[in-house]
Amino acid sequence: MSTSAAEHAPGLPPDGGVAARARALTKAYGSGETAVVALDSVDVDIARHRFTAVMGPSGSGKSTLMHCLAGLDTVSAGQVWLGDTEITGLRERELTRLRRDRIGFMFQSFNLIPTLTAAENITLPMDIAGREPDRRWLDQVIDALGLRGRLTHRPAQLSGGQQQRVACARALASRPELVFADEPTGNLDSRAGLEVLGFLRGAVDDLGQTVVMVTHDPGAAAHSDLVLFLADGRIVDEMERPTADAVLERMKRFDVVRGRLGDGVVAAQED
Amino acid sequence: MLKATLRSFLAHKGRLALSAVAVLLSVAFVAGSLVFSDTVGRTFDRLFASTAADVTVSPKEDPRAARATGAVQTLPAALRDRVAVVPGVARAYADVSVQNVVVVDGHDRSVGPTTGAPTIAASWYATRRGPVELTSGHAPHGAGEALLDADTAGRKHVRIGDTLTVQAQPGTFDVRVVGIATFTTTNPGAARIFLDPAVAGRQLLGSAARATSVSVDAARGVTDAQLQRRVGAAIGTGTYDLRTADEQAKSASAGLGTFLDVIKYVMLGFAGVAVLVGVFLIVNTFSMLIAQRTRELGLLRALGADRRQVRRSVLTEALLLGLVGSTLGLAAGIGLALGLIRLMSAFGTNLRAAETVIGWGTPVAAYAVGLGVTFVAAYLPARRAAAVSPMAALADAEVAGVGRPLRARAITGAVVGAAGAAALAGCTAATRTAQAASLLGLGVVLSLIATVVAGPLLVRPVIRVLGAAFPLVFGPVGRMSRRNALRNPRRTGATAAALMVGLALVGGMSVASASLSASFDQRIDRTLGADFIVQSAGFTPFTKEVADRVAGTPGAGVVVRQRLSPVAVRMPDGTRVRTTATGYGPRLDDVAHLTYARGGSAQALADGRLGMDAGFARDHGVRTGGVIPVEFPGGRRAELTVGALTEQEPAGGFGTQGGVFLGLRTLERYVPHGQDSAVYVNTAPGTTAAELRPRLERALKPFPQVQVRDQSDYKNLVHDQIAVLLYLVYALLGLAIVIAVLGVVNTLALSVVERTREIGLLRAIGLGRRQLRRMIRLESVVIAVFGAVLGLGLGLVWGVCMQQVLALRGLTALAIPWGTLVTVVIGSAVVGVVAALLPALRASRMNVLAAIAHE
Repeated sequence: MSTSAAEHAPGLPPDGGVAARARALTKAYGSGETAVVALDSVDVDIARHRFTAVMGPSGSGKSTLMHCLAGLDTVSAGQVWLGDTEITGLRERELTRLRRDRIGFMFQSFNLIPTLTAAENITLPMDIAGREPDRRWLDQVIDALGLRGRLTHRPAQLSGGQQQRVACARALASRPELVFADEPTGNLDSRAGLEVLGFLRGAVDDLGQTVVMVTHDPGAAAHSDLVLFLADGRIVDEMERPTADAVLERMKRFDVVRGRLGDGVVAAQED
Repeated sequence: MLKATLRSFLAHKGRLALSAVAVLLSVAFVAGSLVFSDTVGRTFDRLFASTAADVTVSPKEDPRAARATGAVQTLPAALRDRVAVVPGVARAYADVSVQNVVVVDGHDRSVGPTTGAPTIAASWYATRRGPVELTSGHAPHGAGEALLDADTAGRKHVRIGDTLTVQAQPGTFDVRVVGIATFTTTNPGAARIFLDPAVAGRQLLGSAARATSVSVDAARGVTDAQLQRRVGAAIGTGTYDLRTADEQAKSASAGLGTFLDVIKYVMLGFAGVAVLVGVFLIVNTFSMLIAQRTRELGLLRALGADRRQVRRSVLTEALLLGLVGSTLGLAAGIGLALGLIRLMSAFGTNLRAAETVIGWGTPVAAYAVGLGVTFVAAYLPARRAAAVSPMAALADAEVAGVGRPLRARAITGAVVGAAGAAALAGCTAATRTAQAASLLGLGVVLSLIATVVAGPLLVRPVIRVLGAAFPLVFGPVGRMSRRNALRNPRRTGATAAALMVGLALVGGMSVASASLSASFDQRIDRTLGADFIVQSAGFTPFTKEVADRVAGTPGAGVVVRQRLSPVAVRMPDGTRVRTTATGYGPRLDDVAHLTYARGGSAQALADGRLGMDAGFARDHGVRTGGVIPVEFPGGRRAELTVGALTEQEPAGGFGTQGGVFLGLRTLERYVPHGQDSAVYVNTAPGTTAAELRPRLERALKPFPQVQVRDQSDYKNLVHDQIAVLLYLVYALLGLAIVIAVLGVVNTLALSVVERTREIGLLRAIGLGRRQLRRMIRLESVVIAVFGAVLGLGLGLVWGVCMQQVLALRGLTALAIPWGTLVTVVIGSAVVGVVAALLPALRASRMNVLAAIAHE
């Protein structure tokens, strides 16, 4: 790891290592005149054992950044590492294996396979890999999320909050190097949302996990250790130990910029 | 609204294409069979109309001698002179035309058709209209000359100057080919040889004073009907049939018709299977489209479309589909008919003079079938679409129909199933064949309906069992595919139903035919005592010289001839039973093991007596010693005494009602000039069968129409006859499977679309492409095997019931072809794999991110 490079990259950890990093990460859709640049030469380091939030107005590229870091999407230019493995240039099959074994995912909705029970959903990535789950770890995760009594339920029998907790358990179950959460509270009421955020926080603090969360909710971002602000495909700012108010204030400045540009739409309007 | 309908039709054209193929196939077979029979029928009508005399006089035939006896019905040649002087008759000819000949070339090969079409030997008519004209050489003069038709000459490489041997009923004679006659219109496939009219009667009928018919031409101004009346008045209509040219053409066509009918019914059978299976596919397609569009339909309703408009919109879509399918099917049907006609030409029936006939009935039937099928199939889904509430527009995109209770289906299925089971049980308990057969038919239909209706209810229990090993063998992929198949039992059930129908048919027929084979084997083992049977492959009669040759072969012991004759027997209870009587030479007991309830072979075969099946006799109140009137062909009547009753029919009389048999001498008295249908041979003491067989084969070399068979060869011959039926069933199965595969593809493709987000999620958390493909493949396999198991289970029940009906005819063995059934199950798994190819590929090619974001 080159320290000089790391110094330029936002999100540099104060102590431990780097779970994932990107250098000159560029993602463009289309080509030539009509090309849209979603990520414009982004450098970023995701610190291990920390809870990082990625914020930005719609179209800022925050989801694209996550997809590229997680090996779900290909990059147009630049490099991405997960730990010491460069994932740019990996083939589809290797990427699939990497996602399965080293990354945990939580999406906004539709996180669970409807035909499988909660327990089966939780161990699915390991089952696919044909690996035995670490029982003690699994029990720890299940108990931490309070899912003990719901293990034989099908997703349809669970509330939205319970479903997200199962998804969270699945993301953590294989003790991945990195958990990506894409708007994990987007579909939940505020109480269930708070619960999930509490669990993600707990995963970092108590279980020593690394979490990257994409969100547009300043309240959610406030649970993180570090917020990265994206605008127009670049990381424009970062905030350590954020509070909801501070994040909201920072976000409002995007709206002003947008408003001045004549967009007229308050893109990051909160509920 | 119409615009919305059209848009929707075009938007779903990919999915509808599979349904259109199903419509196309059924319409193609309907249209094909109509075009084919119209074309061929018209051609033959024209042929016979152009060759028939104004009035034809022929002997009355009742019961129809058919081709069983080898005897020819004749009339006195002098009748021609009586007819010729009737006022209004311009000319009259005595004709000789027989089909009981075999013509052999110099290498002991038959020049006759191999298709089962006859060889016809006739007197030559140079001066009249006929189907052929002399194209090279000269007309035959005297006993040693003959003409051969050009098609046969070409096929068998016979040239003018070659010598042919004609094995006719009176005796075998040689002729030199002196000319070639070419068909002027259509060659229906027979081989034709023409002799000098002066000698034809003697050579073919054994008497120059006999003829087979008299052809009469009307004088100018006399209609055929008038001529018919006048000739009839002169010679009497009691002993002769008089037909006008039209009637003669019709009756000749009717003779051919039975053959054409077979092709027509086969094609209609295919059409029926295509329609039946196609209906499932179309119902399923529309149900799925509507489930997919619930929100859209809800929106239409919310915007003010009323129920009727929604229903009409769906039905319009169905009619469009039917229209497209029917039009393509009509074209495909015409192609099919042309192909069949080509194929017939390859087998010797030359229709070169034919032009395709497309009657107005063909397009009408094509569109009626195509539109009718789609309309009927789409009706229920359309009603369901109309029932979508406007609230559906607002609700989550939950797939409609999944949660609806299956109680109505359970009740209907149980009631219909119970009725079906009762009918089938009744059929096994019935004692009369006709009653049992109708109960069987009813039971088959009811149990099929019940299984289709209750199919979705069976999905859960059956697939739980079938897929029980999946999680163990294939891990989570296996578990998910099994649960996916269980997810929408209605859809899984409907998809599997298409396969089920075809396989039930195959299961039933294979059990029935295996039982039939086993029964015949059993009976051959039990009753056949002869070392060899000499017989033709098509069971057609052959010249009596064969038996003479066999008897003259060194090492041949007992030789027993067998002849057949259609008879009508008037039973004491008043019924007139048409059946086939078998005549045996003496010493029957040496070549057959018969068990008698009353009397013995000696009493049955004695002069003026007959034997019959004891059960048949009991049913009709016949006792030994009773006298029974029997009608033979040609109007000959006999009063025969019942000499013996058998516990089972003799080996030769399979399947003939009543098992009537009598002595050969008795039979010959009433059916003179007949030919043998089989000759049973034992080895003489001191000779082994292995020694005798090559000697027999050498002795019979000039008779290519017969073969020497031992008991196992004979069983194989019988098996082959049954197998022909089975091949037809397999062909039907093939078609049913093609359509069923389309249905499975359809269902899987939709499931893949519906589960796009799920697939995206699975891929995101690390499911490999190959694993994903395997998951879809396994789901497909489990659906296909479910259909196969259900179908074969049903077919097994049908087969056992069919066997029970056959048992009433004495075919008592039950055989279940486990090998075939297991093969079909394995085959259905392969079908599942094939059907999953495209949907699986499509799923694995999905972009993960797009799939997750899919709404």
